[in-house]
Amino acid sequence: MAATLGAQPRQQRTWLRAPKFLLAIPSFVWYVFLFVVPVCLVIVNSFGRKVTGSPGKVDLSSPSLDRYHEVVSGSFASLLKQTMFTSILGTVLCLLISLPVAYLLAFKVGPKAKTAVLALLMVPFFANFLLRTLAWRIVLQPRGFVSNFLQSGHWFTFGQALRSGPIQILDTRTAVQIAIVYNYLPLMIFPLWVALDRVELHLREASKDLGANRIRTFLQVTLPLAGPGIVAGLILVFVPLSGDYVTAALLGGAKGNMIGAEVANQYFKAQDAASGSAIAVSLIISILLVLGVLATCFWFISKLLKANRAVAVVAR
Amino acid sequence: MNHSDDTTRILISKQAAQRVAATINRRRFLALGGGAAALAALAACGSSSSSNTNASQNSGGTEPKKFAKNLNMFTWAEYDDPDLLKSWGNISLTIFNSNEEAIQKLVQGGGSSGFDMVVPTGVYIPQLAKAGMLAELDKTRIPNFSNLDPAYANQTWDPGNKYSVCKNWGTTGWIYDTTIVKTEIKTWADFIKVAQTEASGKTSVIDTPPNLAGIYFWANGIDWTTEKTEDLDACAKFMVNEFAQHIKAFDSYPGVNLTTGSYALSQVWNGDARQGLLSVKEAKDDPSRYKWGIGTPVTELWMDNWCILKSAKNVDAAYDFINFILDPANSVKDLNFHGYNTGIKGVDALAADIDFKDMVFFDDAQVATMRSGAVNSAQEKIVKIYSDVKAKAGG
Repeated sequence: MAATLGAQPRQQRTWLRAPKFLLAIPSFVWYVFLFVVPVCLVIVNSFGRKVTGSPGKVDLSSPSLDRYHEVVSGSFASLLKQTMFTSILGTVLCLLISLPVAYLLAFKVGPKAKTAVLALLMVPFFANFLLRTLAWRIVLQPRGFVSNFLQSGHWFTFGQALRSGPIQILDTRTAVQIAIVYNYLPLMIFPLWVALDRVELHLREASKDLGANRIRTFLQVTLPLAGPGIVAGLILVFVPLSGDYVTAALLGGAKGNMIGAEVANQYFKAQDAASGSAIAVSLIISILLVLGVLATCFWFISKLLKANRAVAVVAR
Repeated sequence: MNHSDDTTRILISKQAAQRVAATINRRRFLALGGGAAALAALAACGSSSSSNTNASQNSGGTEPKKFAKNLNMFTWAEYDDPDLLKSWGNISLTIFNSNEEAIQKLVQGGGSSGFDMVVPTGVYIPQLAKAGMLAELDKTRIPNFSNLDPAYANQTWDPGNKYSVCKNWGTTGWIYDTTIVKTEIKTWADFIKVAQTEASGKTSVIDTPPNLAGIYFWANGIDWTTEKTEDLDACAKFMVNEFAQHIKAFDSYPGVNLTTGSYALSQVWNGDARQGLLSVKEAKDDPSRYKWGIGTPVTELWMDNWCILKSAKNVDAAYDFINFILDPANSVKDLNFHGYNTGIKGVDALAADIDFKDMVFFDDAQVATMRSGAVNSAQEKIVKIYSDVKAKAGG
C-alpha cells in the first residue's frame, strides 16, 4: 500500500492538479456574458436616445442624462415610489409572517412534523408560478366564491361591511400586495429556518442557565446568530419583488402597476430602448439605496443589542 | 466504536483538517453538480427529441408537393378556432398584445424568431415590410384568394396584396353593465363622462396606444390620424390629467372578464364583446344585462392580415393554411368563433343563424362612420400618451 503510494512522483501530481479557479469558470462565463455584459449595455443605452422608426435601436452619438430627467420629472417617479412602497411593505409582511413559522420549524416541532411542514411549503412550487398567480384572479374576482361566500350571510357580524357588495380587490394594489406576499413567502421562510436551525440548542440553554429569560434569549442569542439568515431572506425577497411585473400585470390592473411593467412597456410598446434602460437603471439604483438603508439599520440594531448586553464579554 | 454511524471520523492535525474538509466539500459539490448536470441533460434530451421529430417530418417532404402541416404562428389572443386549426394540422400559437409589441419582438429576434406567420393590423404592414420581415406572396399558390370580397383586398397600406391577405376586420365600441351604469351611452363623449362618474375605477380600456388616444379624438370630432401638435398635446393633457385616474385596467380582451364582473364599462372590439356575451349566455346568465354599442359619431376600422415571414421555415404549410382558411366553409367556422367579419364573399349568408349577428355584420350607415387608423409621425407621441396614462393610473 505504502509502496504504491510512494511510487507516484509527488512533483507530477502537483502539476496535474487543476488550478482552483477552474471550477468557477462555467459560472464565471455565464455571469459575465449573460449578466454583466447585458447590464453594462443597458447602462450605456440609458444615456442615448430612441431612433424613430427602427425599434430597439439607440442613438449614442450625443450621450446625455435626458432620459433620467424624464424618469425623475415624469409620471414614472411616482410609479417608482409606489413600487418601492409595495416592495418594502411586501418584504416586511413576508418577514413578519415567516419569522414565527421558521421559529416553530426550527425549535418547536418534531422531526416528523418538520418534514411534513417543509413538504407542505414545497407543494405550491409543483404548480407553475404563472398558474399560481392566475389562480388569485379566481379567488379575488367580484363574482368569485370568496366574494359570494362573504355576501351569502353565513358569516360573522364583522363581515357586515364586506357584505354590502361584491369585493373589489381584483385589479387593485391590494391584490398585488396579497399575491406578492404569497409568491415570495417561501423565499423568506427557508433562509430563516436554515439560520434558526443552526442556532445550537446548548447556546440557548447556556443563556437560560445564565439567567436570561425567553425574550432576552431570543433577542440576544437566537436573533443575532440568525442575523445573516434574516438579511439573506430580506434580500432574496426584496430584490426580485421590486422587479416583479408578472404579478402586477396579472392582478394589478391599471392601479396596481409596477415599474417593471413600465420597463417592458418602453421596450415593447414604445419601442424606446433608451427610456426603458433609464427606468431599469433607476430601479437598480432605488434597490441599492433601500439595501443601503437596510444595512445601516442592521448595523444600528446590532450596536443597540450589544450595548444592552447584561454580561460584558471581556476579551483576553 | 459505533459502526452503524456512517459519519467518517478522522484524527488529524488542525492544518490538515482544513485541507481534508475542503476536499470533501469539493467532492460533495461535484456530486451535486453532477446530479444537476444530469438533470439538465435529461431536459435537453426531452426538447431535442421533440425537435428531431419535427425535423424528420419536414425533411420527409423531399417530393415537391409533400410537406408537414406544422406552423408557428404569432397572433392575437382568442383569435382562432382551435378545432378548425386542428382540422388543418398542427399549429402552435404565440400571443402578442399589440402591433408595437409584435414588431419589436420580430425585429429584435431578427430572422431567428422561429415564427412562420404573423397577423399584424394593416396599417403596420409597411413598417414590417420596410424592416424586411415579410415575404412577398405568390398568389398563384393561394387559389382561394378569389373568394375574398374585393372590398377587402388591395388596401392602401398594401397595394395589390403584395405581403398580406385579409384575415378579418372589426371595429371598436363599448360594453357596459346596465345594473351599475344607468346612463345610456350613445357617443364616445358619453363614454368618457360615464367613465369619470358612474363607472369611475370600474372602467377598462383596450391595451394599445392608438385605441387609448382614439377615445379622445373620436369624442371630440378630431381625425384620429391627426399629426397636429396641438391636437396631440390636448389629447395628452386630457387623458393624463382627467381620464387616467378613472381607469381600472388596460385590458384588450375585457369580453372574457364579463362573467367575472370585473368592469362596469369597457372599451371593446366587437368580436371580443360578442365572445363575452356568448360566455354570459353559456353561464346561464342574462346577456341583456350588458349593453353593447358601436362607437359614434366615428370609430375605428381595423383589418388584421395573414402574412408569411421571410424567415419562415414552413413556407409550403403557410400557403396551404392561408388557402384553407379562405375557403368559405372554413371561414364561417372561424368567424363564428372570433366574431369578426372575414370578408369572404357570401360569408354573411353562411353565417345567417349565428348568435349576436348584428355585432359581426354592420350596415352601410355604420360602416360609413368607421375610420382607418394610420402609422405616421404622431406615433411616437401617441405611445408617449399611452405610457404616461399608464404610469399616472398606477402612480
